[in-house]
Amino acid sequence: MSAIAEAVAAGRLPGRVWMYADYHCNLACTYCLTESAPGVPRRELGHERMVEIAAEAAELGFTDLGVTGGEPFLLMSLPGTLAEMAEHLPVLVLTNGTLFTPKRLARLEPILGRRVAMQISLDRPDPDANDGMRGPENFGKVVEAIPRLVERGIRVRIATTVESIEEAELDRLCALHRDLGVPDEDHVIRPIVRRGRAVDHGLGVTARQQDLPAELTITTDGAFWSPFGPTVSAGVVDTDLLITRTTRPLGVPAGALLRLVENRPPGDDVALNIR
Amino acid sequence: MECRYASYEPVTSSAASLTVEIAWPNVSRMSAVRLLAAGEAPLLARPYYGDGDPGPIVAALAHVPELLEVALPFIGAALGPSALSWRTKELVIVRVSALAGCRYCVQTHTAVALDAGLSREEILALRLSLDYREVFAGAAERAVIAWSDAVAAGHGPVSGQARDGLRAHFAEHETVELTVTAGATLMLNRLATALELPTSPGTLSRLTSEGLL
Ligand code: SF4
Repeated sequence: MSAIAEAVAAGRLPGRVWMYADYHCNLACTYCLTESAPGVPRRELGHERMVEIAAEAAELGFTDLGVTGGEPFLLMSLPGTLAEMAEHLPVLVLTNGTLFTPKRLARLEPILGRRVAMQISLDRPDPDANDGMRGPENFGKVVEAIPRLVERGIRVRIATTVESIEEAELDRLCALHRDLGVPDEDHVIRPIVRRGRAVDHGLGVTARQQDLPAELTITTDGAFWSPFGPTVSAGVVDTDLLITRTTRPLGVPAGALLRLVENRPPGDDVALNIR
Repeated sequence: MECRYASYEPVTSSAASLTVEIAWPNVSRMSAVRLLAAGEAPLLARPYYGDGDPGPIVAALAHVPELLEVALPFIGAALGPSALSWRTKELVIVRVSALAGCRYCVQTHTAVALDAGLSREEILALRLSLDYREVFAGAAERAVIAWSDAVAAGHGPVSGQARDGLRAHFAEHETVELTVTAGATLMLNRLATALELPTSPGTLSRLTSEGLL
């Protein structure tokens, strides 16, 4: 058993490896950590590398994969990539959920019946409140897409990212996700993290290294401590949570991450409940 | 005083003239890469930042933290305190840096060489402004400088004369260390020159007051 596998099995190291599939997005949310928007540099990891990382992660003893961006589904080949990755480990892919037109839904065929779940952002139970931060028509597209995905047998999680939310509003949001076919255990609520564009808008909480679980995160710019690490400020990728520029073989950043984790007191990675 | 250091020019101990006068170009230009501030320091680089500014070599290498964390201990071992005397190591470092035309390393190590007890005249000789054979009387130190010249020039094997000169005064392990000191210095010379690393204001003002800028 590798040192990584032992640490994961013992709960000392989170089991999930994240990948930034890309950095561009069809939206430009006010709290976006990566300053994503349609015209930004794409920084695409690429099909081949993503599948390779999946295989290496499985071999090292990680247990799960996460894919984020940008908006990963802007990559037309993504479903095929996810399907190949899922042959190695289960995959959770984060999406804004706005691209699932009937044509795009048909393109999801490769992931049907595979170990691929989606996490879709939905912040508020009302279109106006939701779309204020995320852009026009976001709410409508998301509530339209979720049942379409669920009825195809795709597991959908809903992520609510907010500064704060009133109890009554949260109740309505939970009623909505249940209506859409998403059970309570698949609804996560998390704070806005003050990095990237959230800084410009004075939003969110400051996340220090010890506030963030040590989830190995691979991008074209290197390996980071957490998916909250490779954020973008004024067009430049932040380096404060960079682990190594080397990502191949994956054992290099994974070993460095383990070394960093073992030098810190246990149990200090849950302070903000950022997952 | 004007800047009077050499850009790279192969010089051997048998060269007829050992002094050159060339000014540094574009001293005020920005470095070629951002020097990462403490708040931007990657996780593996943080231990090298202490409480603040780690100097431009660390702040540049921090862009590739996995390289920094192996390069820094090596640089420390190669250029820091060791079996060779401090003064001997600074002879090598200043000489090689001058031959490589490295403004940053020459300026920074001029200050270190002063601390190590070298005189202004000795430093000027190491920096090619004076003929070292007229300034350094000791045969051992002249042998070190000749060896440094040969290693920095990099024109094939070191001459038999330079080798014999060193062998007369230094053990094998010292020969290895002198050579590694020269090689590590060259590596830093290339890094600092290509990336145009800035000399610290404190060093510049000290060199100004010593007439060694
Ligand atoms: S937060 Fe997500 S959906 Fe919004 S702009 Fe950023 S990447 Fe796109």
